Amino acid sequence: MTRIDEGLVARCTAVLAGLALCATAHAAQKELVIGVSDALTGPGAVYGLPQSNAVRMAVDDTNAKGGIKVGQDVYKLRLVAYDDKANPTEATNSVRKLIDRDGAQYLLGFCCSGPTSAVASFIGRENVTMLVGNAAERTITAQGIPNLFRTRPPADFTGSAAGAFVAKRGVKTIAVIGSLDVSFYSQYLEAFEREFTRTGGKILAKETFGLKDRDMTPQLTKVRALNPEALLVLGYVEPCAFVYRQAVELGMKMPRYGFTSGSEEQFLKVATSEQMEGVWDLRPTELTVSALGEKANAYVAEYTKRFGTPPSPSSPYAYDQFYVLKHAIEKAGSVDPKKVQDSIRSGGIPPEAIMRYLPVGSAMFDENGQAYTTNGAFQWQKGKWVYVSDLPSDPVAYSKYLRSLRK
Amino acid sequence: MLTVRELRAGYGNVDVLHGISFDVRPAECVALVGANGAGKSTALRCVCGLVRARAGSIEFEGARIDHVPGHRIVRRGITMCPEGRQVFADMSVLENLRMGGHMRRDRDQRRDLEALFDMFPALRPRARQRAGTLSGGEQEMLAIARALMSRPKLCIFDEPSLGLAPKIVDEVERTLARIKANGTTVLLVEQNASMALRLADRAYVLEAGNIVLEGSGQELQTHPEVSKAYLGY
Amino acid sequence: MITEALQQVLNGLAIGSVYTLIAVGLTIVFGILGIAHFAHGSAAMSGGYLTFILTERLGLGFFPAMAVALIAGAALGVVLERLAYRPVRDAPQINAFIIALGLTMILEGGNLLLFGPDQVVIPTPYQHVYTVGGLVVAELRIQVMLTASLAVAAMATFVSRTRAGRSIRAVAQNRQAAVLMGVNADAVATMVFALSSALGVIGGALVGALLAIAPGVGEGLVVKGFAVLILGGLGSIPGAIVGGLVLGVSEALAAGFISSAYKDVIAFLVMIGVLLVRPEGLLGKR
Repeated sequence: MTRIDEGLVARCTAVLAGLALCATAHAAQKELVIGVSDALTGPGAVYGLPQSNAVRMAVDDTNAKGGIKVGQDVYKLRLVAYDDKANPTEATNSVRKLIDRDGAQYLLGFCCSGPTSAVASFIGRENVTMLVGNAAERTITAQGIPNLFRTRPPADFTGSAAGAFVAKRGVKTIAVIGSLDVSFYSQYLEAFEREFTRTGGKILAKETFGLKDRDMTPQLTKVRALNPEALLVLGYVEPCAFVYRQAVELGMKMPRYGFTSGSEEQFLKVATSEQMEGVWDLRPTELTVSALGEKANAYVAEYTKRFGTPPSPSSPYAYDQFYVLKHAIEKAGSVDPKKVQDSIRSGGIPPEAIMRYLPVGSAMFDENGQAYTTNGAFQWQKGKWVYVSDLPSDPVAYSKYLRSLRK
Repeated sequence: MLTVRELRAGYGNVDVLHGISFDVRPAECVALVGANGAGKSTALRCVCGLVRARAGSIEFEGARIDHVPGHRIVRRGITMCPEGRQVFADMSVLENLRMGGHMRRDRDQRRDLEALFDMFPALRPRARQRAGTLSGGEQEMLAIARALMSRPKLCIFDEPSLGLAPKIVDEVERTLARIKANGTTVLLVEQNASMALRLADRAYVLEAGNIVLEGSGQELQTHPEVSKAYLGY
Repeated sequence: MITEALQQVLNGLAIGSVYTLIAVGLTIVFGILGIAHFAHGSAAMSGGYLTFILTERLGLGFFPAMAVALIAGAALGVVLERLAYRPVRDAPQINAFIIALGLTMILEGGNLLLFGPDQVVIPTPYQHVYTVGGLVVAELRIQVMLTASLAVAAMATFVSRTRAGRSIRAVAQNRQAAVLMGVNADAVATMVFALSSALGVIGGALVGALLAIAPGVGEGLVVKGFAVLILGGLGSIPGAIVGGLVLGVSEALAAGFISSAYKDVIAFLVMIGVLLVRPEGLLGKR
C-alpha cells in the first residue's frame, strides 16, 4: 500500500514540476531587448563604460526581481551593448545593428555628443525610443525629436550658472583652455562668458587642445605669460587632467576652474592628488555622496562591488535612464515605443533615480525631451571631490530658450 | 697546409668553378692567375667562407673548413686582404688595424702595431686620420697591414695591385716579397701575371673555372702559352 | 615674451629628448642593417606598459622598473631580429619593409590584448618644481632629459669605445670586410636590435611618465622618429640627437606661437624646409 502511494505522490509531483517548468519557460519567452551604444574603449570610455555598466547593473537587478511587469506579461530583459568608440560612424553602425539585427526598441547609453548627434539625425524615423545620457551638446534636444529624451542637461545650462558663480567669487580675468572645437564645450563657454562678462569679468585667452593631446605645456606657457587670475579648463577628463597637472609643473598657482565630470580615480590616473588640490569642477550635481545622499552611497557601493572600480560621476545618467524606461513601460502597460514615449513625457521622476532632477512643471522631461539636474560647485580637497554649493540654475527659463531654438 | 679538391661554386644558377683542385704548402707562395672572370676570386672567397662550396672539399691544416662560417675562418689562421682594399672608411687608421686584430685576445697587439708601423712608415703619422681620406696606395698598405694584424698562418691577397699607380705596384710587390720572406704562407690572385709569377713558388692557371696549367713560378713565366696569353710577350 | 619663448624651448626639449631616444634606436638599425624598423615605436610602448605594470602592480620604483623593462625590451629586440628580420635579410628590401609593417600590427595588437585600450600614465615620485629666473621646470622633466641624455651617451660610448661597438661600426661600414676580420655579422645584427629596443623602451617609459601610453602613441612616435631620422641625416647618431631636439622645440614653439592644432604640420614644415636647404639632413653626409 505504502509503496503504491509513494509512486502516486512521485508521479503527481513530476507532473506538477513539469507544469511549473512549462509555465516559467512560457514566461521566459517574453524578452525585451535593451540596446546600449556607448564608448567602451578610447578616450570617451571614461564616460561610456561606466554608463554601460550602470545600465547592466539596473537590468540585472530588475531581472533578479522578476523582470518588468506589463499587464499580464512579465518581460525578462536582455542587454546588448556595443562599443561606438565615441565615433559617429561607429555609433550609426552600432545603432543600426541594435535595431535591425537585435530587434532593440529601447536604446540607452550615449555618453558623447558627436556620435549621439549622428544617431539623433535619423532616430526620429525609427519606431524606437532613445534615451541619451552624458552627451551634453545642446542641439540634441533642440530639434524636438519626439522619440528622444535626455537625462543630462545641456552644457550651456550649466555654463551660465558656472559663469555667474566664478564672477561672484571675485575673479576678474580668466584664461580658457579647452576642447573648444567640440561644440558643447564651446556652448558651455559661450554661456559662461555671457554671465562672467556681465559683471565686468574679462576672458584673456581661449586656447584649444585636441581630444588626444597630452602635452598642454605650449598652451599653458602662453596663457601663463598673460597672468590671468584664474584658469577655466573645459574638456574630457584625460586631457583636462594633463592640463591641471602640467599647470602645476609650470608653477602656475592661480585657481583652476573646470567642467569635466571626472571621478577621483580617473583624475588620479594622470595627476597626483597634490597636483589636483583646489581644482573646481562646475558641473551638473552628479554623483557625489555629500551632494546626493544615501541613495548615491548605496549606488556607489553596489557598483564598486560589481565592477571592482567606483562609478564615474556621470554614470547615473544612464542608470536613471533605465528606471525612467521601466516605470514608463509599467505605466503604459505596453512595450509599444509610441505608448511608452507618451508615458515618459507625462511621467514624474522615478524613485530609484540617483541624480537630483529639477522637474519642469510636474514632469521630469520638458517638451523638448530634456531633463534638468541641479548644478553644483565641487572642489578637489585632499583626494576627493567635495560638494561645496549649488550653482544658481533656472530650468523653466532654459526650457523656453531651448524651445525657441527649434526651427 | 691548404688542400682544395674538386671545388665547385657559383652564384645563382651559374657555376663559376667546375671542380678545381690546388694545394698550398707551408711557407709557400702560390699564385692563381687567369683572365677576368676565370673564377680566381670566387676560389678565394670559398676558402674564406664568404661563398659556400657546392661540391668538393677545402681542408686547412687537416680539418675541413668548407662549412665553417666566414667569421670563424680568421680564428683558424686564414686572413684575406680583399680586392679593392675595403678599409673601414670612417674609422681611423689605428682602428682599422685594431679591427685586423679583432679576434686576438693576447697582449702583444701593441708590439705588432709598432712592427707594422715600422713596416709601413707612411701609416704612422696618419694613425688618427680617417682611413677614407688616405690615398689609394696608402689604403692598400693599410689593408695589407690590417690583414697581417691577425697574425695569419695563411694570408690571401685578392688583386692587391688593382687600380694602383706603377710605382705603388712595385711597392706592393716588395711588401708581398717581405711577407713571404718572413715565413707567412701566401695565396695570391693577380691579374698582373708577371708580378704574380715573379713572387710565386708555384702557380695555377685558371681558365673558365678550370685549372689548365700548374707549375713553378719560373716554369710558367717561360711557358709559351702563358706568356702569350697573360704576360703580353 | 623672451621668458615665454625660452619656457617653450625648455618644454620642447623634454619631449624632444624622447624623440631623440626613439630616433637613435631607429637610426642605428637603419644605418647598420638598412632596415626601416617601423615596429620600433610599438616595441617601445610594450616596454612602457611593462614599466607601468611593474610600478603599479609590483610597487617597484620607476627606475628599477624601467631597468627590468629595458632588459625585457632588449630580449624582444633579439626575438624580432631572429624571427622576423633575419629570414629576409638577403631578400629584396621590400620584404623587410612589409615585415616591419606586419610586426607593427602584431605588436600593437599584442599591446592591446595584454594591456587594454585605456591610456596609462606611469606614476613617478618626482613632483618638485624648480624656478630659475622666471623659467619653471618640473623635476620629472629634468629626470626625463637626464635619463635620455645618459642613455644616448652610454650608447654612443659603447659604440665608439668598446670592442663590440667597433665591430658594430665595422659591419655598418663594410659588412664583408668585417666578416673577414672575424666579426660575426649575425651577432652584430642581434646586438643592434637589442640596443635599439632597449633605448626604445627607455623612450616608452619616459613618455609614459611624462605624458601617457595608449594605443596609437607608439605609431605616432615612430613617424616622428623617422622624421627626425630624415631631418638629422639617415644613419647618423649625432643627427638623430640634434634632429630630435629640433623637432621637439619647433613643435613647442609652433604650438605656443601659432596654434597647437597645427603643431604637427608646422613641425613637418620645418623638416621640409631643412631638407630643401640640406637634402642630406642636418648632420648627414653628402
